[in-house]
Amino acid sequence: MKCNEVQRVLPEMLEGGQNGEFLAHVEACPACGELVSDLKTISVAAAGLAESAEPAPRVWVNIAAQLRSEGLIREPESQPAGPVLVPDRRRWSAWWLAPVAAALVVAGSYVINHRPLPQVANQPPANQPPALTVPVSKEAPDASVQAKNQQPATNRKPPSTAASSGDEQAFSAPTETVSLDDQQFLDQVSGRSATMKATYESHLRSVNSYIRDAEAYLKRNPADEDARRHLMEAYEQKAMLYQMALDHVQ
Amino acid sequence: MVEEGLFMESMLRTVIVGLVVASCLAVAAADTRKEYRFPVGPRANVSVDTEYGSITVKPGNPGQVVVVAVLKSDKAEVDSSQKGNRIAIESRPLQGADQQTARVDFELTVPPDAAVNLRSSSGPLSAEGLHGDLTFEGATAPVDVRHVSGGHVHVKTMSGTVTLTDIHGGHIEITSISGEVHLTSVTGPLVQVNSGSGKISYDGDFGSGGDYLFTTHTGDIDALVPAATSADFSAHSVLGKVHDDLPLKPREHGRMSWAAGSSFVGTVGKAASKVVLRSLSGRIRLKQR
Amino acid sequence: MTDPKQPNLTEPEAIERAKQGDESAFEVLYHLHKRRVYSLCLRMVSNPTQAEDLTQEAFMQLFRKVGTFRGESAFSTWLHRMTVNVVLMHLRKKGLPLVSLDETIESDEETQRKDLGGDDLRLTGSLDRLQLQRAIDRLPPGYKTVFVLHDVEGFEHNEIANLVGCSIGNSKSQLHKARLKLRDYLKSMRAEKAKNG
Repeated sequence: MKCNEVQRVLPEMLEGGQNGEFLAHVEACPACGELVSDLKTISVAAAGLAESAEPAPRVWVNIAAQLRSEGLIREPESQPAGPVLVPDRRRWSAWWLAPVAAALVVAGSYVINHRPLPQVANQPPANQPPALTVPVSKEAPDASVQAKNQQPATNRKPPSTAASSGDEQAFSAPTETVSLDDQQFLDQVSGRSATMKATYESHLRSVNSYIRDAEAYLKRNPADEDARRHLMEAYEQKAMLYQMALDHVQ
Repeated sequence: MVEEGLFMESMLRTVIVGLVVASCLAVAAADTRKEYRFPVGPRANVSVDTEYGSITVKPGNPGQVVVVAVLKSDKAEVDSSQKGNRIAIESRPLQGADQQTARVDFELTVPPDAAVNLRSSSGPLSAEGLHGDLTFEGATAPVDVRHVSGGHVHVKTMSGTVTLTDIHGGHIEITSISGEVHLTSVTGPLVQVNSGSGKISYDGDFGSGGDYLFTTHTGDIDALVPAATSADFSAHSVLGKVHDDLPLKPREHGRMSWAAGSSFVGTVGKAASKVVLRSLSGRIRLKQR
Repeated sequence: MTDPKQPNLTEPEAIERAKQGDESAFEVLYHLHKRRVYSLCLRMVSNPTQAEDLTQEAFMQLFRKVGTFRGESAFSTWLHRMTVNVVLMHLRKKGLPLVSLDETIESDEETQRKDLGGDDLRLTGSLDRLQLQRAIDRLPPGYKTVFVLHDVEGFEHNEIANLVGCSIGNSKSQLHKARLKLRDYLKSMRAEKAKNG
C-alpha cells in the first residue's frame, strides 16, 4: 500500500476499520505513522475536554426565575416565613405575579450565598406586643424624601405623630433592620458605588418594615384579604428592589 | 464724543456677545453628540439603558428610530445594536468616570407604535405621544409620561416621582418605594399603583369600566374626581384616617366593614369602574372637584 | 459532580420530584449536568456568554418536558441530545453552516503535500488542553460542529448525520478534515512557541 492509498482509507481505519496492508504500511512509513499517531492523539485529547468548563452562577438564578414564572416550580407546603398568598387573578397581569416576586427575593439571596429560602423579614421578639410599627417618617415629599432616602435609615427621625389622635395603639420606634442576607446583598451592590449601596440600603429598610407591618397585620387578621394583599405588595416591592440591584450587579 | 461713546458701547456689546458665543461653543465642545438611525418595521422594540443621564422619547416618522446621544465627557461610551425590529442602546461608564463625567443623555424619536423600555438610575425619563407599550425603570429618576393611548405603561422606581398625564386604554402598573405618584386624567382597564411611603394622587374620573387599585404602606392617597364620576369605591386604612365628600350610595353587595381601622364604601353614578384604595397607615381622601 | 449544598437525591428521585415541581430537585438535576451541557455549548459557539444563554435554554427545554420523561433512555442522553438541538438551532439562526457542502475528501496529492511536509514537530504525548481548545475555536464552523459532536461529545456518525442533516459519509469526511486542520494548527502553534523560546 502506498502513502496516498493510506490517506484514502485513513478515516475508516481510525473509526475501527481493519486492514493488514494499512497497518503494515503505517508501521514501516515514518510520515504515515506520525500522521496516524497525531490524529489519534487529537481524538483522545478531545474526549478529555467534555466537562472542562462550568457556567456562571447566574445561569441557575435565571433558570430558577424562569421556572417560577412559567409555574413549573410549585412551593412545598412546609415553606417557612409567611402565609400562603392567594393572588387575585383578576388583578395580576402576567408582569407581576406573586410567585415571581417571592422568587426574585430568593434569587437575590441565592446570588450571594446559595442558601435556600431566606427569612425575608426579622420576626419580632416573642415578648413584644403585636402592635404595628410606623417605620417611615411621613414628612415632606419630593426632594426631602429623596435626600432622606440617600441616608442610612438610622439617621431618620422616628414618627412624630400617631395615625390619629384617637388611636390608642402604641407605636414603637422604627426597628427596621437589614437581615444578614440583605446585608450580603448590599455588600455586592456596594461594589458598584457607596452611594448606590446607601440608596439600596435605605429602601431595603423601608420595604422590610412594610413586610413586617403587613405580616403583623395579617397575623392579627388572617382571614382578611386586604392583609394578604398588603403583604403581597410588600414582597413585590422587595422583589423589585432585588431585581433592580441584580440588573446593576450583572 | 457722543459718536465715540456709541462706538465704545457697540464694541463692548460685540465683545460680550462674542464671549458668550465662545463660552457656549466651549461648553458644547466638551459634549460629544452621536446620532444613530435605525430602519424598523411596525411595532419596533426600543430599549435604552443609561446609568446617569436623561432619556426623552417623542413620536417620529414610522419606519425609523433616531437616537441622539449626548456624552458629557470621554469617560462614557455608547453601544448600539439592532436585531430585526429590536434596537438596544446602552451607555457604559469607563474607568475613572464619576456621576458627572459618565452622564449620557438620550433623545429618541420613534414610530408611535413602538414599544419602548427605558432605564436610568438618575434620569429623568420622559415619553409622550406614543401608543406602544412603555416600560420605565429608575432608582431616583423622575418619570414623566404624557398623552399615551392604547399602550401598557409599567413603571418601577425607588424614589423617583412618577407623573402620568392623559393616559388611556392600556394597563398601567406602577411600583414605587418612596417616590410620589401623580395621575392626571388616567384611565384604563387596569390601573394599579403600589407605593410604600410615596403619596398617590389621582385627578380624573376613573373612566368607565376599569379596575383601579391604589395601595400604600404609609403614603397618603388623594383622589379628586368630578361629579359625573361613575365608580364603586372602597377605601380602608388600618391606622390612617379616611375622608370622602362624595355622595356615595351604599353598596348592595360586598363587604361593608373591616375588623379595624377607618373605611368607607359606596357607589357613585352607575358604578362602572371599581376603585380600591388601601393603606396600612396613610390617610385616604376622596374629594369632589 | 453534585453541588455539596444540594439535597442528597439520586437522579431518578430528582426527576420524579421535579415532575412535582420541586425546586430543589430541578437544582439537583441542573448541578448534575451543568458542566457537560455548558462545555458542549462553549465548544460549539466559542463564546462564554452565548454558551451560558444556550445552557439556560437547554435546561429550560428539558425542565418543561421533564413530565414526559419515561426513562426509555438515560436522562443524560436525553439532555445531551436536547442541548445539541438547541445549539444547532442557534447556529442555523445565525446562518452559520453546520457542515461543509463538500462531501469529497481532498485529492490525494493535496493531502500528501500538506501532511508529508518538513515538520519535525510530532504531537507526541499529551496535548496542551488550552492549545487544543484554541485550535478547535479556530476551526471553520462546519468542521467544528462535527469534530465537537464526535470526538468531544461522543456522538456516532449516524447520530450526527441525523442531527445536522447530512450523510454519514459527509460526517466522516468532515471529521477527518477537522482533525487534519487541528493537526496543522497545533503544529504551527508549537513551531511558533519553539521559535520564540
